[in-house]
Order: sequence, then C-alpha cells, then structure tokens
Amino acid sequence: MEEYLGKSIKEVMTRFPAVEQVLDDFGIGCGPCSVGDCLLKDIVAIHHLSPQDEWLLMARIAGIIFPDQEIEIPEAPVRLKPDKKELRYSPPVRKLVEEHKLIKRCLALIPQILENADLETEPGRELVRLCVDFIRNYADRYHHAKEEDILFKYFPPGLDILQVMHKEHDSGRAHVRAVLEGVEKGDRSAVVENLLAYRDLLTEHIKKEDEILYPWMDRSFTTSQVGELFSRFGEVDGSFGDTGEKYREFIESLEEKFCRGRVSRLS
Amino acid sequence: MAFEGCPGSRMFDFRREEGAEEASLPKVQSQLRQWPVQLHLISPNAPYYQGADVILAADCVAYALGNFHQDYLKGKVLAIACPKLDDGQDVYLEKIRAWFDEAKINTLTVMIMQVPCCMGLLNLAQQALQQAGRKVPLKYAVVGVQGEIIEEEWATV
Repeated sequence: MEEYLGKSIKEVMTRFPAVEQVLDDFGIGCGPCSVGDCLLKDIVAIHHLSPQDEWLLMARIAGIIFPDQEIEIPEAPVRLKPDKKELRYSPPVRKLVEEHKLIKRCLALIPQILENADLETEPGRELVRLCVDFIRNYADRYHHAKEEDILFKYFPPGLDILQVMHKEHDSGRAHVRAVLEGVEKGDRSAVVENLLAYRDLLTEHIKKEDEILYPWMDRSFTTSQVGELFSRFGEVDGSFGDTGEKYREFIESLEEKFCRGRVSRLS
Repeated sequence: MAFEGCPGSRMFDFRREEGAEEASLPKVQSQLRQWPVQLHLISPNAPYYQGADVILAADCVAYALGNFHQDYLKGKVLAIACPKLDDGQDVYLEKIRAWFDEAKINTLTVMIMQVPCCMGLLNLAQQALQQAGRKVPLKYAVVGVQGEIIEEEWATV
C-alpha cells in the first residue's frame, strides 16, 4: 500500500477507476480535477477525515488495489461523509472566501453575458471586455495576487496542491487571453468556448479552495501567522483603493441588467 | 428542571487519586514575560504589547487549564480579568480598545471558562473591537472546569 500512497491520484485512478467512486463517497472530489498531481497520501491527510473514516477509506482503496487480500470492514454504522458543519475560517481566510463570492456571482452571469454580447457591435464587444476586466483586475490581480504573493508563500512551493492551484490560475489566464483575442478577431466561438471553460475551471477551483485548501491551511497557521496575514491582506486592500467596491457595483449592475437583481439579493 | 443556583458558583468535586505518572511530571517552566498582568494594573501601551499576540484570560483559566503556559501563553503577552467580580469594566473596555488602536496588537485571544458569566469577557473584547478603528483577528477559547478545551474559534465581529 505504501507504494500507492506515494503515487499521484491521477495515476491511481487511471489504474484503478473504482477509486474515484470511493473518494467521492467520502466527499473527496478528485475525479473532475484537471491536474491530479496530488499524492494519494496527501489527499487523505488534507481532507481531515475522522480516524474511523480515514481507516475505512484506506481499507476500501486497499480492497480495490489488492482484491485478493482479505480486508475487514466494520459492519457498525459509519459516517461516510464528513459532517456538513459550517466551515469556520480565520479572519484573513474568511476575507478570501468573501472575495470568492463576488467572483462566483460573475461566473454565474457568464451565460447571460454571452447570450447578450453581439460581437458584431461595439457595445457587445465592450460587454465582454468589461467581464474580462473584472476577471483580470478583481479575480486575478486583486484576489489571486493575495493568494500567490502572500498566502501560498507560507507553505513549501513544491507542495502538490499548491502547484495544482498555480496551474489552474495559469490555465484561467490563458482562457482569458483567448477570450480577448476572440473579441478582437470577431471569433464568437472562441469567446464562448473560452469564457465557458474559464467559468467551469474557476467554479471547481473555488470549491477546492473553500472546502479543502483553505480549511487545511487554517489548521496549519499559528495564531501569530493569522494576525500577520490579516495585516498583510489589509495592506493589499489599502493599496488597491476602492477596487473592491468598484467591482461589487459592476457585478450588481450586471445582475440588475440581466437578472433584475435577483442574484445579488440571493447571495 | 429545578433551579440549581448560579452555574458559575455551582460546586463540583473531581478529586482523583494521584497516579505515579502525575507524581513524576517534570516542572513546567513559566512562560510569563511581563508584569503586571491584571487588566486594571497594566498599561495597554506598555512596550511588550506593541504588535504582540495578546491573551486576555479570565482569572480562573490558568488554574483550570493544566498546560496553560506551554500551550497558550508561550510567545504571547497576557492580561487577566474577571468579568463577573471586577469593577470598572468601562476602564477594561477602553484598555482593550487601546490595544487595537494604539498598541497595534497582532491578535487577541480571549480565554474564558465555560460558565455563562464568563462570556462577558468575550463580549467586552468584541465591543472594544467594534469601537476600534483598527481591526484585528479575535479568537476565543472556552475552557471546561476540568481543564478541557470545549471550543476554540475565531470570532466574528
């Protein structure tokens, strides 16, 4: 088993596809991950299952990898998924989760933006450019900069999960470049394809961060580091002036336009 | 359910036989790095509070929590108070606010006992943070009467 604990989850799932379902049963959604570089042992550790669930998860995976070996699984009722207890974040991490909420509101608007953006007209092109401006300046420069320049620096750079996060940021940037190129060339299919791909990528990315990465990071931080992070994020917010407020108003204006404010009131 | 009096004063007896293991425990080194510690006596602008991670503990906490020095006080600075018996809590409020605004502390951890009256100390800290111009992460830990940590969370203000 040791050998497989040190392998990437993609490799394990490719050789033993049934492992994906087992992980899913425990609320570990590695299946749709576009990278899959994380090691099996790290995935088990990072999800912070109860000792009982962790043992059961490992037993079921071992049963798939070594089908001829006898694996005893307790018959007593066991919790198959972690408690759906509300996640409690430290104040600086909570700040990032709040920023995610505005990004998710933008992602939710992308189908309406695409539906209403006539790339043959300047107002239509401008609508897509404004969406890209939000993605580049709020989601990327303002938010991802806090993650890449500050938060991730508290952990070893070679950590698999961080490499996955960096790769997904880069993939997002590539989609955004392709959207802008599509706008300039009047290539509607490229704009639609890349903006929808960005939406799917970021939706999964944010879910991973909110539910797995951030809670794991929060468990690793000392009280002093939390204070330091809070202060450093505050400095970034200060240096960006009214960026947060400006883009909140932008999203609200789009929600008013396309959804008559319904999304804004629901979030 | 019959009224059993104030939960903060209710009597518990959890005496136990001292085991051989406990008898041979090494001496615990104090992690206290300053004096005074009582909230009425401290100056919030004392140099050791500047930029520090501060613990504001209810008086009973360090008696109940066996590893208070090693697990909580180490690397931090301290003040103690009793939200039930101490007078002049308006002075406390102002001193805690001064920690945030003037001493520019890094974090505040409020440690209270599980008894309801102790919640007043956390409320005081939250009120001071609301009044402060500078925001700081505020954590709280609730200690049981037998020294167990019942809850430890970051507070929302």
